Amino acid sequence: MNTFALSVENVEKYFPPAASGWRALLHPVSRQTVPALRGISFELNHGEVMAVVGANGAGKSTLLRILTTLLIPTRGRAHVCGFDVAREPAKVRLQIGYHTGADACFYSRLSGRENLTLFAGLNNLSAEETTWRIAELTDLFDLGPLLDRQVRTLSTGNIHRLGLARAMLHQPSVLLLDEPTRSLDPLAAAEFRRFLLDQIVARRGTAVLFASHSLAEVEQLAGRVAVLDGGRLLGCDTPAGLAAGAGAETLEQSLEILTRRAAQGPQ
Amino acid sequence: MNDTTHVRMILRKLALLFRRDFSVARSYRAAFILEAFQALFAVASFYFLSRFIESPQLESSLPQGAGYFAFALVGLAFFDYLSVALHTFEESLREARQNGTLENLLVTQTSLPVILAGSSLYPFALLSLRTTIYLGWGAALFGFPLRGANWPGAILILTASVFAFSGLGILSASYLLVFKRGNPVNWAVVGLSSVVGGMLYPISVLPKWLQVVARFIPITYSLEGMRAAILGHATMHELWPSLAGLLAFAAILLPVSFATFSLALRRTKITGTLTHF
Repeated sequence: MNTFALSVENVEKYFPPAASGWRALLHPVSRQTVPALRGISFELNHGEVMAVVGANGAGKSTLLRILTTLLIPTRGRAHVCGFDVAREPAKVRLQIGYHTGADACFYSRLSGRENLTLFAGLNNLSAEETTWRIAELTDLFDLGPLLDRQVRTLSTGNIHRLGLARAMLHQPSVLLLDEPTRSLDPLAAAEFRRFLLDQIVARRGTAVLFASHSLAEVEQLAGRVAVLDGGRLLGCDTPAGLAAGAGAETLEQSLEILTRRAAQGPQ
Repeated sequence: MNDTTHVRMILRKLALLFRRDFSVARSYRAAFILEAFQALFAVASFYFLSRFIESPQLESSLPQGAGYFAFALVGLAFFDYLSVALHTFEESLREARQNGTLENLLVTQTSLPVILAGSSLYPFALLSLRTTIYLGWGAALFGFPLRGANWPGAILILTASVFAFSGLGILSASYLLVFKRGNPVNWAVVGLSSVVGGMLYPISVLPKWLQVVARFIPITYSLEGMRAAILGHATMHELWPSLAGLLAFAAILLPVSFATFSLALRRTKITGTLTHF
């Protein structure tokens, strides 16, 4: 029995080359030759926070999308709470909450409450469960004054709090966040990080896997860090472990050394 | 800058803006070609309409007791169900992509076909209200004959039509899912249906071979049944051929369209193009 919150075994993802127009129409099923992930393996324990870092195009979002069942891996297997993402997507979706840093992710003309009620229903919560979950999350996320306003009138920071509340509606075991503070100002981002650690990880014991470009954020939140480069996993350890392994003093230096070594290839 | 230079500068700017739009439009070659055929469908519709109006059998080919106004009103009002069915699924998909909610919807416990089906309910309800208003105005002001209509029969025909049309709509959404823009499914179905489906004239005015083609599209059965129920006061027994035709279309199109949609969805999960425009 798989007891990890997440386990990723040798996952590979290749995309077909981009095609458009008549070429796309005549060859809808082209060979998948563009590598996005190559042989990725790691585990995430329940209640653990892990960051995925790497340059743009390193494969962070692809990895998260595979774990959310939005993409199917080309090879390898990934499990969420023991359920296979490719074979048991419905069971996987029951275990995960997903939030991206995108600003537009709600029905902007609906209120926060109407949005949450819709997504609660789509997550199989009954009317009673929806009412008490929204009340609980309103307290937890301090959403009270925002809940009955149209989403288009909310600040980016508040939309993200609402997004997190949506991701937590069905009490998932694993939270997957794709650059959650991308469009937040520094103060809102700091508040978001505090909130994530205090309310979601410490209080709920939810496992969190998040992608980020902010190394300060990674050091503050993550117990372990997975470093991706060109679709390959260069290392997966605590920030201190990564630094020690790379002979570096900071996480930033570790990343530089690891990516430089990867670019030079095996010695 | 003198006046002549100023005018030449403005003309040059206007030419550049025209060239920009032409170049963008030319890059969608398929849309260019489809528009040429769209014009053919429109011209053909008017040709057959004029043939019908000039025909000496005009009155005999209309349902008993109903004038051309009632015939055309039913045709126009219920043809919209086909248009809505064809557009509603791809419209909700496009909207979800545009407002950024598609990924969030897809990670819920609800499958995309259910989300699309649910998203089509409001457009159909709104259309039904609009159709009722159409017929209401027609009856109140222009003598549209509401009395004696077989309303339960009409509702049955309408329900079967919505199922049959929805199959085509889901096929159309599958195309959009994979190819992102342009939609020959919609174009072909709406264009062909408007010419041979009997919206503005009975299919008996069409050449024989087009009458055969008409038997292979669901709108023909839908409009025949609707007119028979509302204008011809047909009994359930008399409506059965139209109803059976629509149910046969639904029985074939719905499973085929759901299977196609599942394949298309799986394909986008492999190619990573689910949220692309």
